[in-house]
Amino acid sequence: MSDLLSIATIILAGIIQASLQLGLGGLVLLYHSSMGRHQRRKTRYLAKSYIWGAVAISFAMACTGAFLIQNYIDKAYRQEWMVVCIGMLIACAFVMLLGYFRDGRGTELWLPKSFSRFVTRRAKATNDNVEAFSLGMLSAFAEFPITLAIYFVVANCLLNVQFPLLAALLYALIVAMPMVVLKLCIKSGKNIIAAQKWRINNKRFVKIFSGSGFVVLALFIVAFWVM
Amino acid sequence: MGKKRITYEYTHDGIKESILRHAKALRLPEGWGEQVAERVAKATDKWIDDKDIVTEDDLQNFICKELEEISPDIAFAYRNHDKII
Repeated sequence: MSDLLSIATIILAGIIQASLQLGLGGLVLLYHSSMGRHQRRKTRYLAKSYIWGAVAISFAMACTGAFLIQNYIDKAYRQEWMVVCIGMLIACAFVMLLGYFRDGRGTELWLPKSFSRFVTRRAKATNDNVEAFSLGMLSAFAEFPITLAIYFVVANCLLNVQFPLLAALLYALIVAMPMVVLKLCIKSGKNIIAAQKWRINNKRFVKIFSGSGFVVLALFIVAFWVM
Repeated sequence: MGKKRITYEYTHDGIKESILRHAKALRLPEGWGEQVAERVAKATDKWIDDKDIVTEDDLQNFICKELEEISPDIAFAYRNHDKII
């Protein structure tokens, strides 16, 4: 597998993970609760810390995955693991299309109610940068059941590129891109309700985009890794 | 085992403050937010006056209905703030 193909796979995986909604939803919550209580400047710092938290966990998970694969999975069996991974990606596509968003007008996700209430409570109580950073980490980490297959693909690709740390950083930055865009929108004067309305109105588009993204990634792996 | 019921005491200031928080989150001018919050809190006081007990949903629906007429954006925020994730 060439460097270029590995980078392309990492970018595709990053885009799919970026389309997941928990990280973005957490940031919307943080903005909403913080702007009602704090100065704009403080809200800006909290949002920045939150985004760095999400970047840090994505970077760490990809690197940890690469380390585990390199040290604990025999090279001879990696192809078999990729086949398992393809199955997981297809399953994730179904989850995205059928059960990722709860029914109703809002953008409630598949998470257990108690967990989403916990994140909501934490977002409302977040007052300093460290809390915002760990909330960002938590939000990115909580989607692990869905992102596990993506992490596995990315980790495998990292082992094939010349500069794995740079590639992992690129992946983490792509994952954070929707949050950065939201931050820029707020900075340019849009209010948080406009962002939430956009999320509600485009819920179906997000579902189809992510679901088909998982299928495309699975086909990509079949074409360039397995065959 | 039945679900545990939680009850809160209604306060004018509590309603006003929560509306004001949403108004601030939307970056509406503070004076305008204050006026909206006061007006809705007064209407809620009047509505709740002859009731011994109301559910949280009833209260939320009433407040949203009132807000809808004055500021649809605050009404949207008030109705949806717990349905984001």
